[in-house]
Amino acid sequence: MKLNEQQQAMLDGKLGLSCKKAMEVLVQMGEAANAEEMIPVSFVHMMPPDIMFFPYGRTGRWAKDMTDELLADVKSFRVPVTLDPMFCNIAVADTLQFPPETKEEIEQIQMSAMKRYEALGATPNYSALAFYTRDGRLGDHACVADSTPIIFYNSIYGTRTERDDGIKALAAAITGYVPKTGVHITENRRAEVVIRVSEELDFTKFCDSDWDVFGLAVSRKCKEKRPVFANLPKMEFTELKHMLAVMAVMAGLPLVHIVGQTPEAPTLEAALQGKEPLAEYVIGVTDMDKARAVYNTTDSDALDFVLMGCPHLTMKEIKEVADELRGKKLAAGVKLVAVTTKELYNQANDMGYVQDIIDAGGEITYQMCIAFAGTQVSGAVLTNSGKGAYWYTGFGAKEKNRTVRLASTRLCARSAVIGKVVEKL
Amino acid sequence: MKVFKGKSVKAVGVVEGEALVSKDLIAYWAGVDWETGIVAEIGHCIKGKNVKDKILVYPSGKGGAGDTYGYYYLFRTKNAPKAMICNRANSLNIGAALLTDTPMIYDFDDDITDTIKTGDHIIVDSAAGTVTIVD
Repeated sequence: MKLNEQQQAMLDGKLGLSCKKAMEVLVQMGEAANAEEMIPVSFVHMMPPDIMFFPYGRTGRWAKDMTDELLADVKSFRVPVTLDPMFCNIAVADTLQFPPETKEEIEQIQMSAMKRYEALGATPNYSALAFYTRDGRLGDHACVADSTPIIFYNSIYGTRTERDDGIKALAAAITGYVPKTGVHITENRRAEVVIRVSEELDFTKFCDSDWDVFGLAVSRKCKEKRPVFANLPKMEFTELKHMLAVMAVMAGLPLVHIVGQTPEAPTLEAALQGKEPLAEYVIGVTDMDKARAVYNTTDSDALDFVLMGCPHLTMKEIKEVADELRGKKLAAGVKLVAVTTKELYNQANDMGYVQDIIDAGGEITYQMCIAFAGTQVSGAVLTNSGKGAYWYTGFGAKEKNRTVRLASTRLCARSAVIGKVVEKL
Repeated sequence: MKVFKGKSVKAVGVVEGEALVSKDLIAYWAGVDWETGIVAEIGHCIKGKNVKDKILVYPSGKGGAGDTYGYYYLFRTKNAPKAMICNRANSLNIGAALLTDTPMIYDFDDDITDTIKTGDHIIVDSAAGTVTIVD
């Protein structure tokens, strides 16, 4: 790989030990993917393991080992940095069934890590919705770690980022560079397969979580091939969040195109960059039914926990929860935890929604990862998030004796009041 | 003996073992149980199979951006595969291979999940970038 003078100086250790290690990581990653050069990034969204990834016990120690080594002599980051959520906002740790000693350890590890990144210049947004803090620019290069902002920046803004992880993002923040690989290169942004939706699907009847199911149905068809949606109706932000968050995880894609709605897909031909697609898939009712079954590990209507906010709730979702709960009380034994960004929390507070939720006996908090922290709970979980359901079903579900069901935001909140899972509004 | 050439992530030696082939994408974070190496994802085509010490052959990675750590934790609990063999490299899997010095080879002429069968005895040479099926 060709390196410029500054990059070579970093690699040679002339700009410090951390910079040297970071550049070594980036060169190795670049060589592994046939990169010819490094490119500067405009910003980095970091996913530090000592903030987000089960920061207690064994995984807590491993995460700290990993980051201590890279951060040894870093004085400040070279580019603007935003941060992914913390593991658990301590305000809801008891509700989420963390034992007192674990709660203390989480607080200690995650809080000291947060202080450390903030001291190096990171913006303390603590949300995967990083584009609320720093929007993207078409054709700009960035380094983003978290599957949701990766697919959002690439697809919705046309900002170029690979599916980066916490280590690469840390290295990019320290050096200001990433290797030019994958979707940083225009031809690798070309759509490979075409997705058409069958007339069987009536989008006017879709609730928000139907977009999670749809995202999974599409992911099972396109797998790792970048898709272009030929005939999707105009989607609003919350719907996009539901669909894309699922596709980011279940197809592992950095980028999708939606004809007429995303910047690199003014037409089908433009998204395909003039080439023929490798395949065309039609998504119908059978695909939706199969996908829905994956998200529901039981058909029992029992309910212990309503967990919402993976990725963080939008204002539309917070309003729907507040509308359902206003003047009512949660059923005995049911707990509801809703999570959003600190900015939206403050605005929702100004609008009275936070009080509505608290008065009903629910909890709303901010800046944490309800997907990971939520895997601590035992019992019957209901969520409005397909991405969340993936972690709840995958992480210790058997040991925790946890069942999972998926429903719309409104149905989740209403079920909490009624005390069992209700299937229709 | 059949030899397939691909792109190696890093020269970290030669490993051999039994192939486990998945036609579905694989996530190591929540898709595979760290404590056992057993594929846990609901609806996955190799659900219940164990990746531990296997030559794992699959189309590409998926999962959240924490998947690198997922693989790392699987490695630390000694339940990781011996090698990752993919059609397309998910950059998170490259990160995992580099972090743990696990051989990873990708980008073959043909679909590697068709050419290798579960149970085949495989030699992976990460310096040469080759995957060999031993008769």
